[in-house]
Amino acid sequence: MGDESYNFVFKVVLIGESGVGKSNLLSRFTKNEFNHDSRTTIGVEFSTRTVQLDTFTIKAQIWDTAGLERYRAITSAYYRGAVGAMLVYDITKHLTYESVERWLKELYDHADPHILVMLVGNKSDLETLRTVPTLEAKEFAEKKGLLFMETSALDSTNVEAAFQEVLTGSYYVALCFISLYTKRWTTACHVNLYYSSVCTFLPCTFYVMCVFMT
Amino acid sequence: MVQTHQDSCEEGTTTPFPPQETEKIWHGSQILKVLQLHHREHPDRFHFRLVWWKHYLQKKHNKTQNSRIGQEPVRLPLQRHLHSSPLLPPSPLANLTTVVAGCNKDALSQRPSETHAASRVPFEPPSTLLSSPLFSTDVCVCSVTLGRSVCLPDSHRAENIPPEVLRQREAKWLDMLNNWDKWMAKRHKKMKLRCQKGIPPSLRGRAWLYLSGGKVKREQHKGKFEELDSQAGDPKWVDVIERDLHRQFPFHEMFVARGGHGQQDLYRVLKAYTLHRPEEGYCQAQAPIAAVLLMHMPAEDAFWGLVQICEKYLPGYYSAGLEAIQLDGEILFTLLKRVSPLAHRHLKKHKLDPILYMTEWFMCAFSRTLPWVSVLRVWDMFLCEGVKIIFRVGLVLLKCMLGSQDKLKTCQGQYETMELLKTIDTRYMQEGFLVREILELPVSERDIEKEHLASVRRWKETRGELHCKSLPRMHGAKAIMAAEPPSRQDLRQNPTIIVESPLATKSNGEDKERKNTKEQKNGKKNSSPTPVAAYLEPSEPSPLLKDTALLGSNQSLSSTEYDTYL
Repeated sequence: MGDESYNFVFKVVLIGESGVGKSNLLSRFTKNEFNHDSRTTIGVEFSTRTVQLDTFTIKAQIWDTAGLERYRAITSAYYRGAVGAMLVYDITKHLTYESVERWLKELYDHADPHILVMLVGNKSDLETLRTVPTLEAKEFAEKKGLLFMETSALDSTNVEAAFQEVLTGSYYVALCFISLYTKRWTTACHVNLYYSSVCTFLPCTFYVMCVFMT
Repeated sequence: MVQTHQDSCEEGTTTPFPPQETEKIWHGSQILKVLQLHHREHPDRFHFRLVWWKHYLQKKHNKTQNSRIGQEPVRLPLQRHLHSSPLLPPSPLANLTTVVAGCNKDALSQRPSETHAASRVPFEPPSTLLSSPLFSTDVCVCSVTLGRSVCLPDSHRAENIPPEVLRQREAKWLDMLNNWDKWMAKRHKKMKLRCQKGIPPSLRGRAWLYLSGGKVKREQHKGKFEELDSQAGDPKWVDVIERDLHRQFPFHEMFVARGGHGQQDLYRVLKAYTLHRPEEGYCQAQAPIAAVLLMHMPAEDAFWGLVQICEKYLPGYYSAGLEAIQLDGEILFTLLKRVSPLAHRHLKKHKLDPILYMTEWFMCAFSRTLPWVSVLRVWDMFLCEGVKIIFRVGLVLLKCMLGSQDKLKTCQGQYETMELLKTIDTRYMQEGFLVREILELPVSERDIEKEHLASVRRWKETRGELHCKSLPRMHGAKAIMAAEPPSRQDLRQNPTIIVESPLATKSNGEDKERKNTKEQKNGKKNSSPTPVAAYLEPSEPSPLLKDTALLGSNQSLSSTEYDTYL
């Protein structure tokens, strides 16, 4: 711990209703563990994992928060400095999907406006109990400019992929910002073109920043 | 996750011990042998530890010769935090169910309220599994709260109270419970001292009920819990509660079974609270509080204990908006300046809001942070003296973890500091050490109230009016009692096993009850028992004791009905 060097530290927050599986997503990604009876999150839990992207080492700090409505009063401190957010819902409970709008509003109220958001439909192993169709969720994500993936913390489906995508996205956003800041326009353009093949939302950010800089 | 004390893992070696070495790894001088083994392989790493252990064993040997009864803390070796062992398989639950299934059926089928086993040793590995490398004979009870073994086995033995002392304490506590109002009014200091020494485990449930004022509430509102229990409950809260039932103390034998009596009682208590206070509803942190209470007393008593804690000791903690906890976070931070200026400066520098570390501590009254024995000691004092104990524990932990320069060198940023506060060194959580530090810390109710006023004023300046106006906080058992003085009737104990003395008159009403020492050692059952009419026939020759009137409880939670995990 702390012995490896890293180039970037990205803070990612896991948000969503209580009981959707945020804590298990965290433990699955950082420790490769899953527990049916993991404790209720009270306050905040966090864990780190280092990943490699291109030639850079990125330390991902994943923060896991309490999902109950009541705790939203104290979560503003958690969003500070976060570059990525994973909004988790449970595919077997439609109510958790309906509250995604509220969570998005919460996110944009408290977090950085350029934060990268991914909509995650967890518990995809319970296919027989599904109440949220994949297509519907995917269209919603596209409409709102969010990334989308369905995962299962229980059998590890797509957990790595989801986190990798968020981290890659954050990495490109960070590169973009760095390039803009150091006025290396050509690098910024290059990064943007590369990234827009992966995600559609970044161009708007880029244009906004461009306008701001000029 | 239950795990062995894998010293090697902590040090970074990847070669695991062969099973025959691990099973006896922690027995006395065997430690020395193992360390010597490693010393040969890694001379630079273990040398100091070897020397230290030799000293430790020698001192322990001397100590047992002197046989002191006291609060002497165990000097633990410097150790880093024991993280999850790479030896353990990925799903800890599989291990747990194996253990539970193989457990001695008698031990597990006994209900905790009958035997009080729950508060003593929550988790006992069966002898058949001792040879497995995953379990040692000294599985630490801390695994209940922390999910991992963190302490050396001997660290708990340090507070071993000899049976004679325990019996004396029990007798004293029984006397106090029988004359509760007198003790509270005239000898409160003595009572406080006894709480600080620790309540004897057999009487802890009852003492907690009396201290919190739950006993009085229960007597004054007889039948209220049954009424609330029979109602269905708001579906919104019921849904959330049901999601949480299997997530409280999942390693504790009482709560491990889904649909078992522990989880059922937890459900009843939490649901009853949402019906008792519909405007408050349910907050997730109430579940661990209720669970700790349920480990010591039946559901109705636990309900009233929870009511008292949520309304008198920690008002507003669980209400919407969570304003009280944020205010207390500010108070903690301000008090820290006085206690440890270095820690205060560090937290300020890294912009670490109190809410990021003290939420779980305060909302669960440290029941999820400290090792189990420390939790019980802290709760003994907390229920007697009020929230200032919680503040003191928080301050002690912050001071110990961040109070000196060399400790601060390791945490260079916000994240590292938070990580440090999440994994507190077990030395500082040791029962003896912690209690001593708590008692030495000069933080009083007046300080807290003063800071509270200042915090409220600051809040109003920056964030506007407070949304929830909670009632003033009661600082301890005496304040609660003074605010609502109970009648003598309310404090009377209602034993369920009554032994009629042949010299007594026939008792028909509810006034005459006699207590029996035998009964007092057992726990009470839940529903209010009606005393039995005299069994004695006048013509009978007078033996000293007649057949006891064993009253069954109304709600039978017999283990055979509900045990589903075996």
